[in-house]
Amino acid sequence: MGFDDNDDDDLVVYGTPIEREEDTSARKRRAVAEAGQLRALPAWKQEVRDEEGRRRFHGAFTGGFSAGYYNTVGTKEGWTPQTFTSSRKNRAEVKKQSVYSFLDEEDIKDMGGNALETSQQYDTFGLTATEYARKQASKEQKERPSAIPGPIPDELVVPATTSIGVKLLMKMGWRQGRSIRDAHTDSLYESRREARKAFLALSGINTDGEKLQIDSHKSDKDEKATESLEGLHSTGNTPVYVLHPKQDLHGLGFDPFKHAPEFKDRKRLQKSARDCNRSGVSMRGSLLISNSGQYAPGFGIGALEDLGVEDEDIYASGFAYEQMEVDIEPPKTANDSNYKLEDRKRGVFLAFKIASSSEYKLERFDPPDIPANFDGRHKFLTPLQAVNNFSDLAPPEVPPPEDTSLRLLIEGCAAMVARCGKHIEDFYKEKSKTNTQFNFLNEGDGCSYYSRKLWEYQQKYIDQRRPDTVKSKTSSDKLTAENRGKILGEKPLDRSTKPSSSSLPAKETIQLQSNLGDTFVKPISLDGLPEYEKPFRNDPAKQARFEQFLKDKYQGGLRAANLIPTSTMSDADRARERLDFEAAAETIEKGKEKKALDPLSLLGLTGINEQRFVSSTESEKLIPAQDEKSIYPRREEFEWRPSPILCKRFDIVDPFMGKPMYVQRPRSKMDSLIFMSESSTRTNDKEESSSIASQHTSEPGTTEIEAKGSATDPDIGSSSMQKPVDLYKAIFSDDSDDDMDEPLTNQPVDPVKTSEDANMVLNRLVAEDFLESLGKELGLDVPPEKPTPPNVLFRPEMPSTANASSISRNGKATTSQEIKENKSSLHKAVVANASADAPSDNAERLDLKYEKQEHRAEKGSLHYSHRQTQSVGLDSDSTSDQHRSRKRRSRHQIRSGSPDSDSSVERRRSKKRKSHSSHRTRRSKSPYADSSSDSQHTKRKRREKKRHQTRIPDTDSSDHEYEERHKSSSRRSSDKDRSRRRSRHHKR
Amino acid sequence: MSSSAAAQRLPRSEARVLSGHEGAVLAVRFNRDGNYCLSCGKDRILRLWNPHTGALVKEYKSHGREVRDVHSSSDNGKLVSCGGDRQVFYWDVASARPIRKFRGHNSEINSVKFNEFNTVVVSAGYDRTVRAFDCRSQNSDPIQTIDTFQDSVMSVNLTNTEIIAGSVDGTIRTFDIRMGRETVDNLGHPVNCVSLSNDRNCLLANCLDSTVRLLDKSSGELLQEYKGHICKSFKMDCCLTNDDAFVVGGSEDGFIFFWELVDAPVVASFRAHSSVVTSVSYHPTRACMLTSSVDGTVRVWT
Repeated sequence: MGFDDNDDDDLVVYGTPIEREEDTSARKRRAVAEAGQLRALPAWKQEVRDEEGRRRFHGAFTGGFSAGYYNTVGTKEGWTPQTFTSSRKNRAEVKKQSVYSFLDEEDIKDMGGNALETSQQYDTFGLTATEYARKQASKEQKERPSAIPGPIPDELVVPATTSIGVKLLMKMGWRQGRSIRDAHTDSLYESRREARKAFLALSGINTDGEKLQIDSHKSDKDEKATESLEGLHSTGNTPVYVLHPKQDLHGLGFDPFKHAPEFKDRKRLQKSARDCNRSGVSMRGSLLISNSGQYAPGFGIGALEDLGVEDEDIYASGFAYEQMEVDIEPPKTANDSNYKLEDRKRGVFLAFKIASSSEYKLERFDPPDIPANFDGRHKFLTPLQAVNNFSDLAPPEVPPPEDTSLRLLIEGCAAMVARCGKHIEDFYKEKSKTNTQFNFLNEGDGCSYYSRKLWEYQQKYIDQRRPDTVKSKTSSDKLTAENRGKILGEKPLDRSTKPSSSSLPAKETIQLQSNLGDTFVKPISLDGLPEYEKPFRNDPAKQARFEQFLKDKYQGGLRAANLIPTSTMSDADRARERLDFEAAAETIEKGKEKKALDPLSLLGLTGINEQRFVSSTESEKLIPAQDEKSIYPRREEFEWRPSPILCKRFDIVDPFMGKPMYVQRPRSKMDSLIFMSESSTRTNDKEESSSIASQHTSEPGTTEIEAKGSATDPDIGSSSMQKPVDLYKAIFSDDSDDDMDEPLTNQPVDPVKTSEDANMVLNRLVAEDFLESLGKELGLDVPPEKPTPPNVLFRPEMPSTANASSISRNGKATTSQEIKENKSSLHKAVVANASADAPSDNAERLDLKYEKQEHRAEKGSLHYSHRQTQSVGLDSDSTSDQHRSRKRRSRHQIRSGSPDSDSSVERRRSKKRKSHSSHRTRRSKSPYADSSSDSQHTKRKRREKKRHQTRIPDTDSSDHEYEERHKSSSRRSSDKDRSRRRSRHHKR
Repeated sequence: MSSSAAAQRLPRSEARVLSGHEGAVLAVRFNRDGNYCLSCGKDRILRLWNPHTGALVKEYKSHGREVRDVHSSSDNGKLVSCGGDRQVFYWDVASARPIRKFRGHNSEINSVKFNEFNTVVVSAGYDRTVRAFDCRSQNSDPIQTIDTFQDSVMSVNLTNTEIIAGSVDGTIRTFDIRMGRETVDNLGHPVNCVSLSNDRNCLLANCLDSTVRLLDKSSGELLQEYKGHICKSFKMDCCLTNDDAFVVGGSEDGFIFFWELVDAPVVASFRAHSSVVTSVSYHPTRACMLTSSVDGTVRVWT
């Protein structure tokens, strides 16, 4: 029993007792229990606990009691995958993920601030070492010469990096350039030697044999050492730099100074000197060399650009610059060749020697012997007299002999002699012995005439050849502004060309002219124009021009441009006059053909011209031409429209503000012909005024009539208001041409329309006045305005009607008309064409004329082809000239809404309100009147032609009516035309 | 007496040479106040100098071809230059970079100028036009093109309200912006250079017939002709002295001529360069003058 009591004492307990589940802390249990509960709770009521079940406090700033998104690590959106975006502007960076990108701050903190890093120290092949080495290398590179001259891209040569191993080696005493093995053997050898020395010292025995042995050993070792030293060069590491970069053109390994080391130094010196220079100048020098030539020194142009004319050195090349850096250094190429020469002289090329006597000889031929009597000039059997005669004095002008046959013979003979030479004359002289016809060659009547003729022909002959030589001379000359202008076909500047032309002997120019004329057509002695061929007898200036015109027309050739005092005539005047001349010339020609001139037609012709040219410009023309020289400097003024933005930038009020931009119409030849230059009127302002005065004095009737017309002036304005449309339609519309024309002149106008128009005009005027006054009040500079379109466009009407009426009314005139219509009927097709192409301009009309002429010529005239080509050519010339000169001005004119140049505000007002005498003068002076009268005239003609063919009853009847109505007033004088015209307007 | 005294003060002694240009210097211009000058030439480089010390301040390189004319704005902040590359370069002075290139000319540009407010650049070219460009906007196209000339426009000048240009067609055309008028003065000879008197009442035109002509701007009247120099084939400048008492012009043989304004005698002439004197610029206030030449130098005369 006692055992039992001791049972407890004997009890031995091993191990640790297993904790029972119940024994685990109540906290834990609670936590576990709560976890289940918590999960059941809504998210925001749950609490985060650690495994001990403790509430975890995150800190006030890191979420308090709740961390993350309701105690989760997620966000509201949950786990959203990373999106990758990359745009052109925002390039996505290449993200390198590291451990840290997966650790949050807490984790990093836990690591105790010890970041994992790669140590550069042990980075044997790492980036840092290479980077460092590269930097070093680039630093070094600047100082040492490299294998390839010039900068080497870093990518090509990667410097060796010093790895940790190298560093260790260096620490151990190894130096760069030494081989490791050698160092080892050396040290081995050294230690051995030390050992031996110690051994010898210890033994103290100096036996010869041993000594020898030692010596031999020593020598052996020395050899080894030297060997190793030598090997040091061969087996060492890669040399850091190349001692002598290859810069010559020798083969690899070839040393030209192998046998002459004394020159090596010299060369090196030279080279180093050159290098110094090169650094400064090399680029520039090469540039200079490449461009030295005929082009401007110093600069080339881009590789992509072509060499143009503008790149030439216009400033006399070959000029030595005062400061040229090139001079410092002779060109490189020269240097090289020098070397070569030197080398050769030295006999460096051992394999070759300069031969003392060359075997190859250039075979030379002596020039042929010139015979002693050789002259070097070809001799003609008969001396060319013409050339010598040129300088001879002209024989006096002699009237031709009476006998025409003799005259012809003399002239023919002279021409032949001039052309062929003296021997022909001799031949003729031979003949004259037998034939009395050739008596004039020696003596007898006509001798002097012959000599004169001969001289003339000779001159001509010489002149014909001259132009070639002249041409060749000028072409070789430098291109001056004048020459260029000539080439471009510009109108030469009068003054600059003047002296040259005047320096040409006058007789020569005449010769040239007659020369050229002669080659084309029969010469007409214009002076000998019979009296009936002077249609402009009563106007000598005009007659002179007419004769000139005829000369131009039938003779061709060169013309002296300034013969006609062009400056005093406006372009339109000229154009109109030209038409007159054409007509006159035709009649004359016709008369000649018929050999009998119809006196009536001629009378009619003069009648027309008299009537038509009593305009203000006519009297103007009478004023003698100004001296050309006094013209310069010549001032002209035009309207110019600055762009609004330009005005703004210049801080100036736009003078054209509020005014509509003019519409640029298609520019055609017509513009240049119909709208004529302001310039002519402007330059001759003074003349005009005088002419106006003269006009008034000479024609009292005009003013009279104007006074009459004044009563109904607003009406005129209103009717004209409509004109623009009509005029343009008349010009531009194709087939309605004639329909538009008839109402223009003949149909009575609807009164309602008229009143409307009047209102429009009135409104417009009022508005303008208002704007003007407003502008003045504001202190703005109101530029003068152009005459209002109504007035402008009204004017064309007048002369045309005058013409029309004069033609239809006057008995004389009708005959001339008949002539014209005869002509036109001959070529109905042509005319029909013309009328179909209604927008034909004046130029076209002129062409038409020439066509007519052509047809006529086909009928009988022999000189058809000549004249045609010639006249057409002339015409085209003149028109193009006019066109060119007027291109700009006409453009200005078309901007009808903009201010006129010489009309001031006051003038405009006066125009509107003052008496009509002034109105009238202005009008007659205005270029518009003339020019468009021209167009009207042509139109009229066309219309008449057409009427002739088609016979429109309406128009005729209206014409008749009209005739009846005005019969009484129409017959008095030419002045009456005007009144009629005016009254007709009143009717409308 | 006074005029002879004034003639004595004319810049005749060479103060220094501004060398650096390679090849012909085509133009040299004082800036507004005369403290600096600009030169340009065949070497396509624009140079800014201090002519009084001879220091090269800056170089402006961007032109692709020769530079024919240059002008600085009145506030010295901007430059315009033009030349063979058919564009007007608008420079920033300080950074030496072109701010803009105005295009529009179809051919070489001979002359260029700022207006008074530096808002507009007007250029004249071989393409027979004068074009105005707006500096204020980003637009590089011209705001106005004047194409009434019949030949190459050699020179352009601006007043507050006018554009004055001389052309090889022998005309000087004055475009009055205020009045909207174009005034054509036909001299009958190619006009090389047009410059204005300092009172803006007279025009000085260098013509290709070796004559410098003085015109009254308002009436177009020929006031005087100055002769003695050679000017037949090159574009050469002429100008008036700052007191409008003398006319200065270069010659093709390297001479500089001074004429008395009123009576037109040659007051002084001396050899300044070894070759064609392309440009002459007179100091706005002092007796100082710049000349440039084909020999590649710019010389300062005092």
